[in-house]
Amino acid sequence: MAKPDTYVGINNDVQGGMTTIGKLIRDAWVFGLIEETETCEGWNFAMVDGLLQKVNTEWDKYGCLVSHLPEDLFKRHQIIHNKAMENAKAAGWCGEVETDDEK
Amino acid sequence: MAKTYDAGVKEYRETYWMPEYTPKDTDLLACFKITPQDGVPREEVAAAVAAESSTGTWTTVWTDLLTDLDYYKGRAYAIEDVPGDDTCFYAFVAYPIDLFEEGSVVNVLTSLVGNVFGFKALRALRLEDIRFPVAYVMTCNGPPQGIQVERDLLNKYGRPMLGCTIKPKLGLSAKNYGRACYEGLRGGLDFTKDDENVNSQPFMRWRHRFDFVMEAIHKAEAETGERKGHYLNVTAPTSDEMMKRAEYAKEIGAPIIMHDYLTGGLSANTQLAQWCQDNGMLLHIHRAMHAVLDRNPHHGIHFRVLTKVLRLSGGDHLHSGTVVGKLEGDRDATLGWIDIMRDSYIKEDRSRGIFFDQDWGSMPGVIPVASGGIHVWHMPALVSIFGDDSVLQFGGGTLGHPWGNAAGAAANRVAVEACVEARNRGVELEKEGKDILTNAAKSSPELKAAMETWKEIKFEFDTVDKLDVSHK
Repeated sequence: MAKPDTYVGINNDVQGGMTTIGKLIRDAWVFGLIEETETCEGWNFAMVDGLLQKVNTEWDKYGCLVSHLPEDLFKRHQIIHNKAMENAKAAGWCGEVETDDEK
Repeated sequence: MAKTYDAGVKEYRETYWMPEYTPKDTDLLACFKITPQDGVPREEVAAAVAAESSTGTWTTVWTDLLTDLDYYKGRAYAIEDVPGDDTCFYAFVAYPIDLFEEGSVVNVLTSLVGNVFGFKALRALRLEDIRFPVAYVMTCNGPPQGIQVERDLLNKYGRPMLGCTIKPKLGLSAKNYGRACYEGLRGGLDFTKDDENVNSQPFMRWRHRFDFVMEAIHKAEAETGERKGHYLNVTAPTSDEMMKRAEYAKEIGAPIIMHDYLTGGLSANTQLAQWCQDNGMLLHIHRAMHAVLDRNPHHGIHFRVLTKVLRLSGGDHLHSGTVVGKLEGDRDATLGWIDIMRDSYIKEDRSRGIFFDQDWGSMPGVIPVASGGIHVWHMPALVSIFGDDSVLQFGGGTLGHPWGNAAGAAANRVAVEACVEARNRGVELEKEGKDILTNAAKSSPELKAAMETWKEIKFEFDTVDKLDVSHK
């Protein structure tokens, strides 16, 4: 099967969006870099990579840690990510898949 | 009457079965698990193993008369039943130290696990353990730095160190790879690690990776005030190329490099370990291919032998298995080879699969690395089992955190510190683990989320290679 040139969108992503790009998009929502209605469907690799650099810049302000976020961002992070985890679990994701390939 | 050449085959046991022999302190001792072909007497096949792994060949050759066979031959000196398994038995063989080149585990293995493993009188053969005489140990270079020097170099004391293998293991660009390292180190890890498959592929050449990873280390060190490291994998197609990569790692200030000692080869590993010792570098050792050798309970080389071989060849870290988690690992056997890695003197202990006393003299120890299929809920058990002189390595258990790499690292750091603090107060970790983590999570949202991610997971696979006391 040919690899798609563009991202399927966080709403259509596997594992309820509990993927590297899914996490990136949620962080971009937290930091207000894109609207929460933006699923990034149809984005190409360069666009996703560009967003990654912007998200990294934001995280660098807080040492990459959620517990270092100011209160407003912390609350926003909790709301967005808690909902995502609920959705992912409902879609069949669990932590075990994260260690499946380990040896 | 003068000796005359007598062509033809004679029974091995006439020469190599010596039940009256008392091993010398300088002998190298080996325990083999032998599964003979039907109808071959135990003494004969044990003697054949002793012969074929030392001076013997399948027939008498005239040049035998030119050597002092009684001095140089291996001696099968004891036979024992294997508990619970009638298909095989243990044979103990003593080899005079002069059979082996000083400082060469390569030479030892070439003899002990060489042609003898294809011998027709055997259905299967497994090297269970070796006692290296201290006189031989002291000819080997051993770990480049050792446990205490590593702690001093990194200024890390009183707790297990934390690591993480960067994933996805193949395909990341060097820049994004470096970023993942930074996030893990910034979140609280001590080390990140190249996956063993990462060497110098077209998608990420080694020099780019080294540069971006060092940038990550410097950034994380500046922000945390802690020493950080990344196991830069220098395993390469040739030992010259391996050394080139090691030299560059030193040039850019990396404190630690990595080698795969089985696929890379023991000559290369020993060379690298000696160079690390001369250059103040730490050496992390991966064990790809070990399961090919050690997993079959009747054939191959037990991991406790591979552990001893690595300690002699040289390495500061060695992957040990986890005991807990989803991967293979009998608890008692694992504890046995963890002792073999770290302690200076290990007593024979059949309950841990250790067949011989092993005196390491003044040779430094190796830090065991518990890696694969583990996460925060395993932390209390891991701290209890492995103690402080260990690296606990969470790959998916760090990078799989739903909030990202730094959050996963922070969760593990908070968890390990909570467990160590509780242990130091005398709390029983494996009993009180849940309460310890739950309390710690009150001040760490990252840990709380990790516990919600993994709490329902149970790993209940049985091990394939159990200690012989529990077979059947």
